[in-house]
Amino acid sequence: MQTIKQTSPYVRKDVSTKRMMIDVLIALTPVVMFSIYRFGMDSLIRILVSLVVMVGLEAIAFGMMHKPVKSDDFKERFKSRYKDFTINNITAPAVSAIIFAMLLPSKLPIYAVVAGAGFGIIVAKMLFGGMGSNIFNIAAAGRIFIGLALADMFTGTYDGVDLIAGGTALTAIRTGAGFPYTLNSYPLIDMFLGNIPGSMGEISALAILIGMIYLLIRKSADFRVIVSSLATFTLLIFVAGLKLYPEQVVEYTLFHLLSGGILFGAVFMITDPVTSPTSRPGRWIYGILVGSIVVLIRLFGAYPEGVAFALIFSNMFVPLIDYPQWATNKYKPAFFIGTSVAILALVAIVFFGVGGIA
Amino acid sequence: MIEKTRFIPDGKKELKKLPIINYTDSKYLYYPVTSSRCADGETCVRGGQFVKVGEVIGTRKGAFFEQPMHATVSGEVVGTEKHMDQSGKSVDCLIVKNDFKYELHKTIKDRTDEEINALTKEDFVSIVREKSLVGLGGSAFPTYIKLSTKDKIDVVVANGVECEPNLISDYALMLTNPKAIIEGLIYAMKASGAKKGIIAIKKKYKEIDERLSFELREYSDYDIEVVKIGNFYPQGWEILTIKNALGIKIPQGELLSKYGVLNFNVSTLASIFAAVKHNLPVLERYISLSGDGITNQNFRARIGTLMTELVESVGGYKDIEIPKVLILGGPMMGVNVSQDDIVMTHTTTSLIVQNQVDLHEEPCIHCASCVYSCPVGIQPVQIMNAYKTRDKDMIKHLGINKCIECGLCSFVCPSKIHLTETMRKAKRFASK
Ligand code: SF4
Ligand code: SF4
Repeated sequence: MQTIKQTSPYVRKDVSTKRMMIDVLIALTPVVMFSIYRFGMDSLIRILVSLVVMVGLEAIAFGMMHKPVKSDDFKERFKSRYKDFTINNITAPAVSAIIFAMLLPSKLPIYAVVAGAGFGIIVAKMLFGGMGSNIFNIAAAGRIFIGLALADMFTGTYDGVDLIAGGTALTAIRTGAGFPYTLNSYPLIDMFLGNIPGSMGEISALAILIGMIYLLIRKSADFRVIVSSLATFTLLIFVAGLKLYPEQVVEYTLFHLLSGGILFGAVFMITDPVTSPTSRPGRWIYGILVGSIVVLIRLFGAYPEGVAFALIFSNMFVPLIDYPQWATNKYKPAFFIGTSVAILALVAIVFFGVGGIA
Repeated sequence: MIEKTRFIPDGKKELKKLPIINYTDSKYLYYPVTSSRCADGETCVRGGQFVKVGEVIGTRKGAFFEQPMHATVSGEVVGTEKHMDQSGKSVDCLIVKNDFKYELHKTIKDRTDEEINALTKEDFVSIVREKSLVGLGGSAFPTYIKLSTKDKIDVVVANGVECEPNLISDYALMLTNPKAIIEGLIYAMKASGAKKGIIAIKKKYKEIDERLSFELREYSDYDIEVVKIGNFYPQGWEILTIKNALGIKIPQGELLSKYGVLNFNVSTLASIFAAVKHNLPVLERYISLSGDGITNQNFRARIGTLMTELVESVGGYKDIEIPKVLILGGPMMGVNVSQDDIVMTHTTTSLIVQNQVDLHEEPCIHCASCVYSCPVGIQPVQIMNAYKTRDKDMIKHLGINKCIECGLCSFVCPSKIHLTETMRKAKRFASK
């Protein structure tokens, strides 16, 4: 009998990266279903295009990045390049692809979908070294790329409101009739169910919440980032509401929570482990960072939609949060003091800042 | 998945149901002359000489202590042979041919209660030393050194947590011979001057709790309490046991005795009892064969028995065409050995035979499960990254020396990265 050398521990938990990716795919199904229900073929085609581009390009890039064995036989060389290619090299880009597609307006030209998906997978992922090595959220990077490169497509000058990205209701609040009246065209219940214009995956809060519950039950997403980003967002918007619309502050807060990509982002994008810090305090800080930047962009910024920007921006801080010299998994007093001070400062900025706008 | 993992499938349920077979009549018994703690050793018997149970047959020499070796059968010394010891190293072993009479050596005499009552701390220490008692939980640390502490001890903890999966040795002992544990605990309390005794067990072991509590009624003169602590891993790690049983937080690296605590494994206490009361060294231990590559079985076997015999007695390995991993001890912290030619020593309580499973390492996805799960609060993933760049200062700064090599980080990693091994390498690298 042959014995094998191994080192302890000799048992492993029944979990896998593959399972985690598949969980995210499962959690995305309600959102995907809803977008297909709302936008029909438009949605389906864009999802498929995004999938083909991301999964395909990752496979090609993967092959190019791995040295083949020396051999005259082309087949053998080809095979050796893909020796380490696993199911994760399919599921991971698939997750990115679907999330990316969900960020898009349903009528976005196909070549823009291709460009964004390609940029995301090649520049934001493979150039950084592939799975696990990317610094920026892939879907967010792809979305911002086309947002900047093909800016015209998102400004609504084309045809009709459906073209406008994420923040249609948000745009209305800034350029249209102003807050309390937007509720007439976008009642909160419709916003919750998804009966509004907007990006394909961001409109139905209900579908997103179902996905969130699944992810949390399976523990395939860290609740810390979801809670801290949403809590920060809610708190700051509430403060702004207090100043701007003291009578309707609850509606105002809900309106913001349900519009744009904050919910979708909090559940499916901020939770992306690869681009998150790796300690408990770090995850809380990260969520606060994303949540507050989204608020700042919404209240003071030029873009009606800021989740992707906030995310990419926060991604840059991850190495700083994780910097081994101070990162720790313990909740130290400094953490509590630091976050409290930061939140108070943010509250103050928002409270005094929005005065000017109102 | 992204969570703090504290439970590992414990694999004891099935083992507990199996009967315990006596395997105490081997024809030849083997006694390693050296051990991992004692690099040197010599025998004091010659080939052809007859020895009796409990007779000193040699001495193992460690850096600052010596341990007598004892025969566990009576019979003839027939030479030496190389076999593997607990650590997987090949060592010289003295062979004694069993004459199946089990005659006791003349020094093996019971002490009366009066004699025991008259024993001083020094007497206890010297008995424990003469009988070569060591930490039977697996540390094999000489018990007398622990017992001879100069610090003031308030409480002695009998650690019956046995948190590693697949081990049932302490469990079986607590169930079959709780008296020995309690008496041993009382001796340890007497020797150290502690007023209080605690028996720490897992919460889910209701049967043990009942058994011990029932026995304890006879000892109402002593302040001994059964404390049930959590079921999770690594609850048996003394710092966690003490924190949860007594509420005393002891920083890593400090001596327990400084905080007035002594911690003994329950089997060690039972061996103290046997040494003090009957003047006996450790003669037998419970040992189990488990894992999917072998018929599972529990034994009571004599120290010095060759593992090969136990394996043969259950019919050898299953599915021999599948390569196997042999593990001495538990699946989380046990020692990997290359064959079963192993001599049972004081700390041998389990052989696990696992069929080979292929693990494919994926890239780290920063899920942080390893960070959340580490019981000493260090960050395995960060240490791994620091080790990759060979950043010695950073590795030290990240607290590598706190790592107790519990195995949890490897256990939880969804990418199947062998973090624990990296921790060991980083530790070695940092201390170079
Ligand atoms: S092996 Fe070390 S680093 Fe890993 S979980 Fe255990 S103590 Fe922490
Ligand atoms: S090493 Fe494994 S457990 Fe730790 S963060 Fe990376 S993937 Fe997660």
